[in-house]
This record gives sequence, structure tokens and C-alpha cells, in this order.
Amino acid sequence: MKIKADLKKVQEPIQNADPEVQEVIKRVLVLEKDKLYTKNPRNINDDILTIIKQVVQ
Amino acid sequence: MRLISIRLCNFRQFYGKTPEIYLASGTRNTTVIHGNNGAGKTTLLNAFTWALYERFTAAFASPELLVNKRAIAQANVGTSIDCHVEIQFEHETKRYQVKRQCYAWQNSEGKIEYGSSKLFMKVAGDDGRWMIPTEQPEDIIGRILPESLHQYFFFDGERIDHIFRSEQKSRIAEDTKELLGVKVLDRAVEHLKKAKKTLGDELKTIGDSATKKLLREQGKLEQQKERVLKRQGEIETECAALDVLKQQVNERLRELSGSAELQSLKLELEQQEKGLRENLGRAKGNLRHLISASSYTVFTGALTGEFRGVLLGLRERGALPSGIKQRFVEQLLREGYCICGTPLEGGSGAYEAVQDWLNRAGMADVEEAAIRLEAQVGELEQQIPQFWQRVDYEQGQIQQWRSQLARVEGELDTVQEKLRTYPDENIQGLQKRLDETESQIRSLLLEQGGNQQEIERLQGAIADCQKQVDKHKLKEEKQALAQRRIQVTQEAIARLIEVRSRLEQQFRLSLESRVQEIFATISFTPYFPRLSPDYELSLMENTSGIAVPVAASTGENQILSLSFIGGIIDRVREWSQENTLMGPDSSTFPIVMDSPFGSLDEIYRRHVARAIPQLANQLVVLVSKTQWRGEVAEEMAQYIGKQYVLVYYSPKPDCEVDQITLGTVTYPLVQTSDSPYEYTEIKVVEGRE
Repeated sequence: MKIKADLKKVQEPIQNADPEVQEVIKRVLVLEKDKLYTKNPRNINDDILTIIKQVVQ
Repeated sequence: MRLISIRLCNFRQFYGKTPEIYLASGTRNTTVIHGNNGAGKTTLLNAFTWALYERFTAAFASPELLVNKRAIAQANVGTSIDCHVEIQFEHETKRYQVKRQCYAWQNSEGKIEYGSSKLFMKVAGDDGRWMIPTEQPEDIIGRILPESLHQYFFFDGERIDHIFRSEQKSRIAEDTKELLGVKVLDRAVEHLKKAKKTLGDELKTIGDSATKKLLREQGKLEQQKERVLKRQGEIETECAALDVLKQQVNERLRELSGSAELQSLKLELEQQEKGLRENLGRAKGNLRHLISASSYTVFTGALTGEFRGVLLGLRERGALPSGIKQRFVEQLLREGYCICGTPLEGGSGAYEAVQDWLNRAGMADVEEAAIRLEAQVGELEQQIPQFWQRVDYEQGQIQQWRSQLARVEGELDTVQEKLRTYPDENIQGLQKRLDETESQIRSLLLEQGGNQQEIERLQGAIADCQKQVDKHKLKEEKQALAQRRIQVTQEAIARLIEVRSRLEQQFRLSLESRVQEIFATISFTPYFPRLSPDYELSLMENTSGIAVPVAASTGENQILSLSFIGGIIDRVREWSQENTLMGPDSSTFPIVMDSPFGSLDEIYRRHVARAIPQLANQLVVLVSKTQWRGEVAEEMAQYIGKQYVLVYYSPKPDCEVDQITLGTVTYPLVQTSDSPYEYTEIKVVEGRE
């Protein structure tokens, strides 16, 4: 149980972040995960920049 | 990933298409495939790794010779033999069919040539319709079960400890972290840093904010304008006062005897001067108006000429109405007389000549428009001499007013000179004062003109300034936004780094404890595994109160490795349920394991056999007759969902046949081939043991 609780703590820095930071992190992670095993991940830098710009207005 | 079935076609020992080999899952999650040495157990394991990843295990000899020899030998020279492996699996709610295919053929020199392999995928959703996915099949498989980790799920039990040999250790740490999603975090951090740099560059291009400086400048300009405007007001007051003074002096001059006559002459001349100046101004105004309103007519001469030429041409060709109205011709015909008095009787030559005009008269509208246009152009032509006449007139007027003005000014000068030199000193004095006042007024008027120009310049500068201020304000907003974006990015990076460090630490500890649990259930030794921060796996013992490493035997190393794999599957499953952001999508993992009991003795075999069906969600074990002994069969019995036997057909005429008894049925393991080729068939074991 303790280990499970410790694993929960892993995500605390994300859960305690400001909504904007949280949103950026979540969307970036989804994108990265999606493209992790893609042989040619195209435009990932532009996509991340777009995420930041969309979230922080 | 839940494996559903596998089917081979001309893959190594398997001649032609095998039946679909369905794999067990659920509570009875274990599939056992029996086969003697060389029957194709390792081939079957490699069929999985080849189809999914185009990879082979270390024990798989000559991986370049994939296509069944019998199939090639029986085919005509140059005919391609299809070799493929089809795997069906389920992931989340979708069903996938993966097929890797290659071809081989015999060339005219009897040599066998191979084509490269190709991967195909079809996906079926809830509706059961099979579609070809838009993404690359490799990418889809990679997302479900990453290639770098395949050796933890498809492996050779005898060589399992090789995975954990020293040269592989760093890869284990990497692979495990990848499975946890650390790579996702690393990439996110790396790309966010790049994004932050781009945002920084953007901030630089927005430039320094100069709004304050511009506002200060604008303020200064406005002050200057105020000053000049104030001065303009003062000038007006001064001029008014000087005018009053001038009038008073003039009055006094008239009052003084002797000069009265001169004075009234002067005033009259001044009056005249004023009137003449007004006339001159009006005449100049008229001339300006005339030029701006009508001077264009002068340039229309050539155009009107051209217009008339065109019109005439059109008329001559009969393309334009003649200028005679249809109605007029009709009236003539009705009345029976031409305008020249000739009677127009129906059928006569005259009647027809006039009637002919009726056709040429054309449409009333066009006719009217042409006539109107012609009239207007005519008017335009008439305007040219009128314009010149009026210009001459106004210029004459100007000339006249100028010469009159020069005369009046001259007379005025004479009168003023007379007054200046008048014998009476009072009069002289007054005239001097008057001269001075006039000179003051003149200089004030000059200043007023200069100031007016300055005011206009300042107004322009202020407007420019305002425009720039607006632009900079926009920039400031952009700057603030860019800075906020950089801040958010920086914080996201910091938090992700923190998550990464926590994940590495916590996951390693949690993994270590699970590996220890599994190891303890299998091994009878008092040893316990320890996982270093680099994921270096070692066995320790603590009998003396201090943990010291032990030299593990091959068997213990195998158990250790199995415990590690089991631990990883377990913890990753837990983590993926806990975390969907960075962890893997999979929470279901299969294990396909060749020779699972390697060099273990009886007790360990029993323990491993008991443990492995519980380690993974799905287990496929490939065993030889010697490995499938009483204790193993006994421990696994409750988990077995499906069983198959690989029957090896040997072309050796005197080969020793072999068989295996499963439950009450005996199945052949080795048989004599009916052809000069060796091959393997797969047989389903009916019912459960």
C-alpha cells in the first residue's frame, strides 16, 4: 500500500501545478506519447509551441 | 496486448499453411506447445518476434533462411514462394491482424534468392469491420509493446540470464524507464526546452519597449504646441491693441490743424488700398476656381475631334442611327408628305426612300443616347473659348487692381512722407509713431505666420508619436504574453524533471520490492534481489546481519531474471492503471517463453511452473518432452487453456519415432517423412489434461 501511495506521489508535481502549467504538461505528454514510437515524428517542436501559445493567451 | 492466434506459412520447418494456432487467455491463460528438439519451438517463438519486430532471438540459427526448403524445392525455377506469419491480437477494444511476408525463389543457377520482408496490418473496431490503419504498422506495434522491450515478453528461458549480463545492464535501465514513460518525460523536457528557446527568440524580435520614452517625447511636443498657441493668442491681442493705437494716432493727426487735409487724404488712400487688396484677392480666387473647375476643357480638343470621327464613321457604315427619330419618319409616312413637300404614296419610290429611313433609324434609346452625347461634346467644345475669355478677363482684372494698388501705394507714401517731414513737430512725431506701430504690426503678423507653420509641424509630429505609442503598447502586450509563456514553459519543465526523478526513485523501489517477493516465492535460498539505481540486478544475503552480494548460480540467475520480468510486468501494469499520461497504454502483457525451465532442478521447476502463469496476463510456453515433467505439468494444469504438439517428420528412413502422452491420448512427436524433406505439423491437443 505504501508503495502504491508513493507511486501516487510521483504525479503530485503535475497535479499541484497551476491550471495553465498542468494543461501544457498534459497536452505535451499526450503528444510525446503519441509520437514516441513514430519513426519520423514531424513538427513536434512546432506542435509543442502551438500548445503553449494556445494554453497561455 | 492480448495474443489471439498465430498462423505460419512456409516459415522454416512449417511447410504450407499451419492451422490457426489459438492462444489461451483469461483464467486459464496458458498455452503449452510440446515439441522435441528441432521440431520448431524456437521457430515458433521467432515467428512472433519476426512478425512483430523483424527480430530474432540469439538461439535462432541462420535467420536469413526463413522460407521452407521443401516449398522452394517443389516450386518451378523463378516462381516466388510466399512465406509469412500472421498474428492476431487484441489491444484495448480493437483487434489487430499483423502479417509479415517475404518471398524466396530459386534462380536459374539453382541459387535461392530472398526478397525483403513487408509488414501489413488490419484493424477492426467494435463494428468488426477490418480496415487498413492510416499510421505505419510498426508505429502502432511500437506504441502497444515497444520493440526495445520485446525481449522481456518473447524470450528463451535457457538464455534469460543473458538479458541481464553486464553488457546489457545499461539497456535494461533504459528499457524499463522507457516502459514507465520516462522517455516520454525526457522528450517532453527536451522539446519544451526548445520551445522555450524559440519563445525567447520571439521575445527578442518583439524588441525593447520604448513606450515611456515615446510618451515623454509626445508630452514635450504637446507643451511646445501649447506655448506657440498661447503666443498666437498674445499676438492677436497685441495686434488688436496696436490697431486701436493706430486709429487713435490717425484720429489725432486729423484733429491737428494743417495736417487734416493730408490726413483725410491718407485715410481715403488707405481705404482705397484696402479695397484694392480685397479686389485683387477676389480676382485671384476667381482665377484659381476657374482653373480648377474648367481648365480640363482645354485638353479635350483632340478627343472631341476623335469622337466626331468615330461617330461619323459609325453613321456612314449605318451602324448608328442617322439622327432621325423613328417616330418622326413614321409621322411623315402617316401624313403622306415628306418635309420637302413630295407626296408619299404607298408603293411610290419616294415612299420607299423615306420608309428606308425607318429601318436605319434603329432603336429609339440608342438614337437618343448618341444624340445626347453629341450635344454634350458640342457643349464641351464651346466651353473652351469661354474658359479662355474668362481667364483673360480675370487676369485683366488682376493687372488692373495691381496697377491701381501701385498707384495708391505711391500716393500714400507721398502723403506719409509729407506728414513725416511736416513743419509741425507734433505731426511729425505722430506720423513716426504711426510708422512704428505699423512696423510692429507687420513684425507681429510675420511672427503669427511662422507660428502657424510651427503649429502645423507640431501637430504632425504629435500624431506620428501617437501612432508609435499605439504600436509600442501592442508590443508591450505581446512582450508580457511572451514572458508569461516562457514562465509557464519553464515551470512545466521543472515539474516534469521533478516527476521524472520521483518516478525513477519510487518505481525502482516498488519494482525492487516486487522482484524480492517473486524471488522469495520461487527460491528456497535466503537470498534477496537488490536493484541498484542503474537497475543492476544482484543477489544479496543477510545471514550475518550485513547485506553482502552472493555469487548466484545459473539456476538462481534464471529465477532472478524471471522475477525481474514478472516484477516489471506487474509494476508497469499497476503504473499504467495509475497513470495514463506517461505510462504505457498496455496493462495486459503476454509472455512467450521457449524452454522455460532451462537448467533448473526439480524444486525450482515446480516453483517456476507455479509462478509464471501468474506473472503475465497470458503465457505461451514452448517445452520439450523432458522439460514437461510431472511436477511442471502438475503445477501448470489449472492454468492450461490450450495445448499443441509439434510433430516433426524426418526424411531419415530409420529415424527413431517418439511420442508424448497427454492425459489419455498419445501424440506423435517424431515421425518418418513421406517425402525427402523434413517438416513440422502442428496438432491440437483436444480436451484438457
